[in-house]
This record gives sequence, C-alpha cells and structure tokens, in this order.
Amino acid sequence: MSSRITLKINDQEVTVEKGTRVIEAAKLAGAEIAHFCYHPKLKPDANCRMCLVEIEKMPKLQTSCSTEVSEGMVVQTASEKVLDAQKGVMAFLLGNHPLDCPECDQGGECQLQDFAHQYGAMTSPFGETKRTFEKTYFGPLIEKEMNRCVSCLRCVRYCDEVIGSNALGSMNRGSMHEVGAFAQQELDCEFCGGCIQICPVGALTSRVSMFDYRTWQLKKTETVCNYCGDGCTLTLETVDEDIKRVSSETGVGRNGGDLCARGFFGYGAVNHESRLTRPRIRLNNNDLEVTWEWAYQTVTDGLKAAIQTHGPKAVGGIISAQCTNEEIYLFQKLMRESVGTPHIDSGARFGYINAIAALTDVFGTARLSRYEDISEADCLLVFAGDMTETNPITALKVKDAIRNHKTKLFTVAPYHRKRETYISHLPHLATQHTEISMGSENAAILGFTKAILEGTPSPHTPSDLFEKIKFAVNGISFDQIESATGVSEQAFKDIGAGFANAERGLIIVGRSILRGIEGYQSMLRLAELSILSGQVGRPGTGILALAKESNAFGAVEMGGTPEFLPGFQSLKKEERGYTALEMIDAAARGEIKALYLVGENPLRSLPQKRVAEALKQLDFLICQDLYPTETTALAHVVLPGASYAEKSGRFTNHEGETQKIREAIDPLGNAKPDWQIFSTLINKMKTTEKVPYQKLLGYASVDAVWKEAVMAMPQGWPVLLGSKMQESLAAYAARANVTWLAPEPFVKNGAFDLQVGQSLFHSGKMSTYATGLTTLQDKMMVLMHPEDAERLEIEEEELVQISVEGSDAVIELPVKYSKKLSEGTLFISEHFALEIKKMLPFTTDSTTGVPYGDRGRVSLAKVRVST
Amino acid sequence: MPKYELVLLKNMAQPGYTGSLEAYRQAGGYAALEKVLKERTPADIIEEVKKSGLRGRGGAGFPTGLKWSFIPKDHKGLKYLCCNADESEPGTYKDRQLIERDPHQMLEGLAICCYAIGAERAYIYIRGEFDLGAEVLENAIQEAYRANLFGKDLFGSGVNVDVSVHRGAGAYICGEETALLESIEGKRGKPRIKPPFPAIHGLYQEPTVINNVETLANLPHIINRGAEWFASIGIGKSTGTRVFSVSGHVKRPGNYEVPMGVTLREMIYDIAGGMRGDKPLKAFIPGGASAPMMKPEHLDIPLDFESIKEAGSMLGSGGITVMEEETCIVWAAMNLMEFFHHESCGQCTPCREGSGWVLQILHRIEQGHGREGDIEQLENLCRRIEGKTVCAFGEAEVGPILSSIKHFRAEYEQHIREKCCPFHPNATLSMVH
Ligand SMILES: Cc1cc2nc3c(=O)[nH]c(=O)nc-3n(C[C@H](O)[C@H](O)[C@H](O)COP(=O)(O)O)c2cc1C
Ligand code: SF4
Ligand code: SF4
Ligand code: SF4
Ligand code: FES
Repeated sequence: MSSRITLKINDQEVTVEKGTRVIEAAKLAGAEIAHFCYHPKLKPDANCRMCLVEIEKMPKLQTSCSTEVSEGMVVQTASEKVLDAQKGVMAFLLGNHPLDCPECDQGGECQLQDFAHQYGAMTSPFGETKRTFEKTYFGPLIEKEMNRCVSCLRCVRYCDEVIGSNALGSMNRGSMHEVGAFAQQELDCEFCGGCIQICPVGALTSRVSMFDYRTWQLKKTETVCNYCGDGCTLTLETVDEDIKRVSSETGVGRNGGDLCARGFFGYGAVNHESRLTRPRIRLNNNDLEVTWEWAYQTVTDGLKAAIQTHGPKAVGGIISAQCTNEEIYLFQKLMRESVGTPHIDSGARFGYINAIAALTDVFGTARLSRYEDISEADCLLVFAGDMTETNPITALKVKDAIRNHKTKLFTVAPYHRKRETYISHLPHLATQHTEISMGSENAAILGFTKAILEGTPSPHTPSDLFEKIKFAVNGISFDQIESATGVSEQAFKDIGAGFANAERGLIIVGRSILRGIEGYQSMLRLAELSILSGQVGRPGTGILALAKESNAFGAVEMGGTPEFLPGFQSLKKEERGYTALEMIDAAARGEIKALYLVGENPLRSLPQKRVAEALKQLDFLICQDLYPTETTALAHVVLPGASYAEKSGRFTNHEGETQKIREAIDPLGNAKPDWQIFSTLINKMKTTEKVPYQKLLGYASVDAVWKEAVMAMPQGWPVLLGSKMQESLAAYAARANVTWLAPEPFVKNGAFDLQVGQSLFHSGKMSTYATGLTTLQDKMMVLMHPEDAERLEIEEEELVQISVEGSDAVIELPVKYSKKLSEGTLFISEHFALEIKKMLPFTTDSTTGVPYGDRGRVSLAKVRVST
Repeated sequence: MPKYELVLLKNMAQPGYTGSLEAYRQAGGYAALEKVLKERTPADIIEEVKKSGLRGRGGAGFPTGLKWSFIPKDHKGLKYLCCNADESEPGTYKDRQLIERDPHQMLEGLAICCYAIGAERAYIYIRGEFDLGAEVLENAIQEAYRANLFGKDLFGSGVNVDVSVHRGAGAYICGEETALLESIEGKRGKPRIKPPFPAIHGLYQEPTVINNVETLANLPHIINRGAEWFASIGIGKSTGTRVFSVSGHVKRPGNYEVPMGVTLREMIYDIAGGMRGDKPLKAFIPGGASAPMMKPEHLDIPLDFESIKEAGSMLGSGGITVMEEETCIVWAAMNLMEFFHHESCGQCTPCREGSGWVLQILHRIEQGHGREGDIEQLENLCRRIEGKTVCAFGEAEVGPILSSIKHFRAEYEQHIREKCCPFHPNATLSMVH
C-alpha cells in the first residue's frame, strides 16, 4: 500500500505522506494558512478555528490543522467563504485584545499582529467593553498578560505533551478563560521556557529580558548550549555585545528545539559584570593589569623557567571540559609538544573518563548510543534517577520514548517513585522502579548480572567472558545482594528478564555511577551486562553515559587526559602523565612546579586543604578563566578567556555528536578565545625572538585547528561501533579480569546518608552568575523526607546542623521537604557552598583516579535557638 | 386518564409504585435482560433496535442501532457505555423523572445495551445538581448487584457488566458527549474534535457508545414487545413515544409521554391544559433552549424529528417552552444567551468570544441603548459562530438569537427606535465580561 497521497490545493496538485495534515500539505503547495493553535510539535487541538478551509464534499468548513489529507481531496484555502470565516475569527480574536503592540515584548514577531495585517485593520470591531485581566506572574520568571491571550492552549499542550510537566491548565469558562498554573499554586515547574517560546502572542513573556529590546533589533546566532552534555542547539539573540535572550527553533538540533531552564534562562552568565576581562600578572605581590603581549611573555618565561630548572615534567595542565575540541586539542599540544610534559588532564576526570575509558576498553569506542536509539529501544534500563536534573533534554527523549513509542522504562535509583513538584521524576514515570539503598548501584548491577546469567543470557556472549562472569558471580547469593541493595531476587529477575528479553534494550548511566565509588569498574561490569543481555551493537541498544560538561566526550577524544592521545589512542601505563589530583599531590611534593589551569578551580572541585597546601608550593600558577575564583586569587598570571558565546569551535556531546558553536558576540573587554591564547603560546614557546604576539597566532581559524586535530587521529574520525566491535570484544574477553566482591550489607544506624548532586536550575558555578537561574535557586538547601523531618520536629525552611562522624566541622542549612527522597537520606545541590564537600569522605578511583566525594553518612540536628 | 398509552412512564403512573427492584420486577422488569442474555446474540439485538427505528433522545436524534453498529466487533481491549444523564438543557427535565422514579428501567436498558455492544463497563454521568437522582441510582445499582443483575456472569450467561455513577460538577457542556468523556476521565470538560468519533476512540481512547437516559429506557420495551410494535408508534422516521417536558406559560407544565408526531397545538392546548390565563401564544421553543424559536403559525406541525427540522427548528431534547404575548422576545433571547455565555467552555474562538459580544449587544438593546446596525451586527456575529466551532454548542447558542430576529425583527427594531424595552422599561443589567 502506498503511503503517498495526492490531493489538490487551490487547483494545484501535491503529493504528500499519508497522515500529513492539510495545513502542512498546503504549505508545501505554497499556500500558507493562518493559524494560532496549530504547532508541528503538538497534537491537533483545532480550537482557534483560524485555519478553516473548504473541502469538496464536506458541507462545513474544516480546520486544516486537524484534518488529515486523503486521496483525491480538493481543498480551497482562499475562497470567499474561507476568507470570510477567517476574517470572522480574526475579528473575534482582536475584539478583546488590548492592541498594545508598542509595549509588548512579542511585538514584531507576533502571529496575531502578522495575521491581522493580512486580514485587515488592527481594530476592535464590536464594542467598547473589553474583557480585562490583571497582569500576573507565573512564578518568578514568566509574565502572564492574559488580555493578549488567544486561548490557543499551545503553552498548556506543550507543557503536557512535550515536557510532561503538566504544570499549566485552563481556568474559568467562556470569554473569561485563562491559562494558569495548575490549581493556581505558585508555578514550580521545570521552567524550560517552552511555554514562552510556543506562545504565538505576547501573553507569556520572560521577565528576565522584559522591555530590554524590540524584536527587530536582535541579531541571531545559532550555537550549542554549554551547560551540560546534552548538546542542545540554541539561538543567542543579541543587541550589540549583549545577549538579550535565547530561543530555539522547532525541530532543529539534537534537542529538536526543546530546551531546559539552564539553556533558556541561563544566558545572563555571559555578560555578567564580574567576568575577567583583562590579563593580570602578580608582580612583587601586586596584581597588575597588563597587555596581552606582557601576559604572553610572562607565561612563556614562567613555563620555560620551570622546564629549564626542573625539566618539562615539572609542568602540568588541567583544562575545563567546557572548552571546545579545538581548544583542548591545542592545550594538550601545548603541554605535550611545546612543553614536553605528559601531565595533562581535563574536567572529564570528574567522572566522565570512567565511561569513556571503560567503554573504549571493551568496545573500542565510546560512541555506542545516540538519541535515536532511545526512541528505537523497547526497553530502557536507567541508572540515573536524577536525569531530569542533570541532563534534562536526554530525560525528555526518555519521556518521549515511553509516551510515544511505548518503550518500557526501568529505573534504578536511591529515590522513591513519588514526584511532588511539576519537575519530572523518571522513577515516577517508570514501568517499574527499583529503589535501592544509597550507594548500592554496584550491587544492583551485580544483581541484574546474576539474574540474567541464571536466566537467558545472550548466546552471542564470548564464551571466555561468559565463564569469567560466571566464575566471578559464583558464591555470591541474592540474599547478600538484597542486604546491600534492599532489592529482592524476584525484582532482579523480573527486570533482568524484561531487559534481556526485550527486542532492543538500552542502558543509560548517570553520575550516581560515573561519580560513585569505583565507577570505572562499574562501567566495565555494565558493559558486560549489556553483552550478556545481547543488548549492544544494534539500533536501539548500547550504553549512553550522561555527561555533565558540554564537551566531556570531546575532552577525552581530543587528548585532554593523560591516558589518551587524540583519537583515543591509549597510552601505556608508563607513558601516562598525572591525573588532576595526582598533579596537585605532585605539586605538594615539589615535583610539579608550574601549573596551567584553564577554567578549572581545584580549590572547589578537589579536597580544599590538600589543594591549598599544594598550590602554595608552586613556582608558577597560570589561571585562565571567565570569572575570578578562589584559585585565580592565587595565580601568578590570570588570563581572561572567552565564554562559549564569544568564540567558535566544536563541542562533542555525550552521544559523541560533534557540533559547531558560533561566536555571537565579541569577547568581553580584552578577553580572548582560549584557542587563540593556546595557539599563540605554542608559537611563542618555539621562538626566543621578540615577535609581536599577533603574528604568532598560527591558525587561520578554528577549522584549521579542527583539521589538524582530525589528522592527528590515526584511526580516523569518528570511530563508530562497527565491524571492529567483535574484534574489540574478543580481545577484551580474553584479557578481562572480571571480579565481583560480595557486597557489604547496608546498615542503617540512625544517621543520614547524604548525597550531593545537581540541581535542574544550575550547572557548576557558571550558572550561578545568571540572574534568570539564581531567581529560581540562589541558596543551598538540604532536602529531606517530610517523615524524617516530622520525627525530628523540623519545619520546612528551618535551619539544621549537619556534621560528619569523626569531624568537628558543622554546617547549617535550611531544610526543604522532598517526598522523592528515601527516608534516611538527604540531598544537597552542589552549586552554592563548598563547606559540605569539605566534610564528606574523599576517595579516588583505583584505576582512573576519578575523585569521589559526593556521599557520606552525616548526622543532622535542629539548631537550638538560645533564648 | 392519559390519552395515549404510557410506556416509559407507565410504572411510575401506578399508585404506590416505589421504583424499587422488587416493584420493578413485579411489573415485569429485567425479563428483557434475561431474555436477551439467554436467547439472543448481540448482533440480533442491534438488528432489532435498528428495526425499531429508535433514535437518540438526547438531542441529535441519531439512530441508536446504527450508532451501536459502529463499535468495532473485533476490538481487543475494553469497550464502554456511557449513559448521558447530564440533562442540563434549560426546559428539559424528563431524564430526571425517569431516573428518580423508575431507575431500574434505564438500568435494564443499560445492561441490554452493554451486552449488545460488548461493553463490560458502563458509567452513568449524572448532572451534578441531581442529588436525589444520584442517590436513587446508587441504591438501585446496589440492589441490582445484590440480585446479580449487574456484576459477573449475569443470568449464568458468562456476560459481565459493571456500572457506576459519575457525578458532574455543574457544567452544561459536559452533556456534550465528548466533553462528558473528558469529564469522566477526570479532565476539564471540553468537547473533543471529531473525528475520531467515540465509537472508535471514546472513553480512554477505547470504543464507546454514549446514549441518553430515555434512549436506554426504551430498550426493555423494544425487547419485550418487539421492534414492530415500537415502529408502529409515531410517524415516519420518528418512532416510539417521547417524553416531552412542557414549561412556561401553560396551565399544566410537566412531563408528558406521547407518541411522536402529535402536533404542538395538541401538546399545548390539550395535553398541557392550554395557555395560562388563556392569553394568546406568542412563541415557543420546541426542543430545549438550543432549538430555534417558533411562532403560532407552526402550531399544527407534528412533533417529529423531520417535520420540526423542516420548519426551521429541532426536536432536540424535547423541552417545550411556551411564551405568551407579554413576553419580551429580546429579553427572552438575552436570558437564553446569558445561559449560553456562562456555559461556553471557552475552547474555541467563535463561541468563546462571540457569545460575549452577542450578549453585550442584547444587553444594550434590552436596556434601551441599542444602536442602528446592532441587529445586523447580531446576525453577523451569529453567522461567524455557526458552523465554525468545535462542538454543536455553537449552533445551539445562535439558534434562539437568529430565530428570534427572524420572527420578531420588528420588536428588536422597536427596542432600538424607542430607546427602551416596551415590556421592561426600567431594565438595568450588569455588564458582560
Ligand atoms: C452542548 C450540548 C449539550 C448536550 N447536552 C446533553 C444532555 O444534557 N443530555 C443528553 O442526553 N445529551 C446531550 N447532548 C447530546 C449528546 O452530545 C449526545 O448526542 C447524546 O447524549 C447521545 O445520546 P442519544 O443518541 O441517546 O441521544 C448535548 C449535546 C450538545 C452539543
Ligand atoms: S498564553 Fe499564549 S500559548 Fe497559552 S493559550 Fe494564551 S496565547 Fe496560547
Ligand atoms: S543545559 Fe543541557 S539540557 Fe539544558 S539546554 Fe543546555 S545542553 Fe540542553
Ligand atoms: S463551541 Fe463553545 S462549547 Fe463547544 S467547544 Fe467551542 S467554546 Fe466549547
Ligand atoms: S490552527 Fe487550526 S484551529 Fe487553530
């Protein structure tokens, strides 16, 4: 049966896919039909009645947005009858509208304005008494001006059908209809801004950018968000050198035009007044603002001095995984070639390296799964209960899969199923949720492995690997696993079978594993689990590891870690340099004398005391950053880098998808794109002559850098999972050292298990410079289950003291109730205060050196108010 | 003694009839259900109902057997029956009586329908204000469950039927069948766009039949006495009896069951006892608030679907509202429009916005502030609503307005010309919106 349909629109024949709606077919035939409620992302609702057309053999006019094409259909989109009907609807929409375009932020890009001009005058045709609503606010970021609303419900439908937040709804009837936060509470949704973007008129507008611009002044630059590893395409809209707002285009980018709060409201960080804008050097204990010429000279002098006195290995460098591929490539080139040191590391060390290293070990590549695989999978096994918070758009893909592709979702996380705000909570949406004890992810992987091993393991599992797994698991009982995880044998067997027997099964892992204890080993075990289940190497299968930083994947691929040269060329143990923390410790020992930090602030990300001691020992500390930090305050040279909005280059997201970012504004003040800084330094390191730095740039553009980087990858780029998988697997099977230890039982002793993690409204430190986001959250709170709070007689917002056994440090924080937390657990989001991290036990991964310090047993007490 | 044989109101007309299960069974109740379950196939029943010519009593008059036959036979999942007991059409109160006074009659019909369409689950969506009706139904359902007339394996046939009552929350629009479905699903009651039709994607997206209380109440009688008997009552394509609710300026307002096809004259002057105070008749609405008004010249038109339609109105819900000479037509139209404006769900532009403007203009005409061109503006507004809305509410709300202008234009003009209402010279009304 043919899936193509031929119809006639205004006497013109068009052939379209079956299922196309008349409005879409008409567009293809060159007849744009005026509309308000229609949106390609949404199911038809046909409420505005603007898009009426005449269809032969149908007595009434039909809404073209809801009518599907059929063979031989004859449509008129501009007959007298149609135009009359459309005029009528337009008149109705304008009747109650305030016609206040000059002071409306939508002015210039308003569908009502556009279509009204098309249909005649912008006047109100009926009477003088218009319906009026008070202007109100949807929470702190969204202004609601219902006088402008055309009741198309696009906002409500987007929130329901796309985001799944269900935060909005219709209120009142007839001409008093308005949209509102559900149950008229304060809006506590995901604040993705989607409702603002999808509103065809100025009824919902952003309070962050109010009255700041007229739409026609805006210059638009399509680029990629830098707040997480999802890799969303967004458009920065600027006036001169100021970002005024963010938008996204339907269907464009890996995100298809959907954004999260960070992407939509987080742009304020770029133009923030505290940005570093001039190079600075420390001279005789004074901070001096200097020219770039001087700064470059100081850097090369310092590096050369260190090399001369202590040898090249006395230099180390750490670069942020929010830098571009080109920058990371050049930085490792500067370190490895110009300086000659193997000590180069990046932000990928803070967890993502565990995924990349393990997956390339097993499969020869870490590019296993893409977003399309999420839609194609029948079953998702997700070890990331906080995915909405860490990777909102990947979570959206998961929601879309369960809603629109009937995909089964199994979540495994130390959370309850319960959702209590309008922020999606994947366990709440799961087909089956497995609530595990905090920190027992590893034991849960063991449980699934054992269940599948004893169930129906894939016959394609390499036999030596199968035997090794069997041997390793042997002797560990489900009882032991249950005592660690709190999960029964039956649950492991049900979900294990559900996953292994699915046509296509995909595993998604987040920070609970990547930054949990021994994350590298966990990733190997998960890789084995996917092999054992036969869920790898086909569409809709594999493992997707969620990245926190926008370029964590790229950072490793570009050679920004000691274990890999560009293109994942694995170095032998003895050729590898130090990891970030090892560099710090080497500095403390006096072995590393000069350290170059790019967008990294170890005083915040690593044990503070240890780092502070080490930094003191350095002869030379270079900090290149966007904002002043605890570490820049100690630096001998501070170089102002450029944010993602001020430079071009490429980010590789956690699917392994490499995307271009584009310069939207000039670098602030005297700041420079980091790639230019590195390439100038590379050339300056080569020469002893005095050459003006402008002549030392070396690369014409980022594309030239990219070309060179790709050339530096002997296996070519990108390396995909293909024919090589079997070879790689066989090699891994032969050398694998599969070990499983009987898990430790989880013992509750009345103390709380604290997890430090991410908030949906922040990403690292940078987002805390964005007023849009600080409006949503600007302080650290400790989340606890209301039952625990009740037991301890703690009210919401009340201050509590948190302390760790064996340490006398105490911090005080306000409490927020959260029913999604398990009783006996606490959650603190990491963006605002360091104190808590200082108190938690700290370890590192025995293979990758990934630092772990996000969890710990703490005690919590009411603050006694002295009267 | 009623002039015509009572069918639906027969039991309750017996002195001392309580409507209990026992009373209903004594009157021969549930024999039809037993018979169909033991002797007839679902296809058989659908055929029988088609033959009887039974048409929906909720408003649209759609042939009931035909509606049932749209339910896919080979559907794997659940199917539903929803009984529409939302009866909110001003001037209509027949379902209320059928429920309160003889609940088992409609319950038996409901069970027969479930069997015919293969639905194991039925909901009765009852108007929120019907406290007594809901209570009566709940009790009747409990009685019927105890007697295994609902629940599992009815009459040993292996057929299961579960039923429960869902109470509305006061919105007229929830009587519209798809708004009713939304409301049962726990959502805001607003009509869905069609297609898809409920027979394919209804309640929870499963095949669903929606039938009015009176429609269902007819079923036991059709089974017991046969399709031929039913078809022999009434005229043309309007078969059976109909319970009309007569209200307004008549001597004996009330529910009257008559064969389809009696004339309006007989209805008003004979059955309802004639005009109150013997005043002259000015206008009447033949089928609930949404039916266009008619005039004395229409008195000899028979009350059947086709004839009334031909005369420019509709039989609708069977609510006949009678207005005598001293009724101000503009005021009457405004009164109706106040209702529709209040009840528009607000979903689609023409109805949401239009109802307000229409009412605003009616208000000003009635208050003596009417302007030249207002009548044309009203017609224009109505034309922009009619046929352009999501649901039939759009037609419903313009019916009374357009018909009142059509038949009483001079009265509108008088209001405007004399800058005051000839009937209510001191009318002051609150503003709309
Ligand atoms: C605005 C509107 C209100 C309605 N209200 C009712 C009602 O209160 N009761 C009813 O039975 N049908 C009502 N209907 C008709 C129903 O949509 C539907 O046609 C009917 O319930 C079908 O049952 P029937 O075929 O047995 O008549 C209404 C229709 C519209 C458009
Ligand atoms: S606020 Fe905007 S999107 Fe929402 S219903 Fe009104 S006009 Fe439509
Ligand atoms: S923070 Fe992540 S999910 Fe949000 S818009 Fe940016 S890339 Fe997308
Ligand atoms: S016609 Fe009126 S009642 Fe019907 S859907 Fe539209 S707004 Fe709602
Ligand atoms: S666009 Fe079709 S009805 Fe709104």
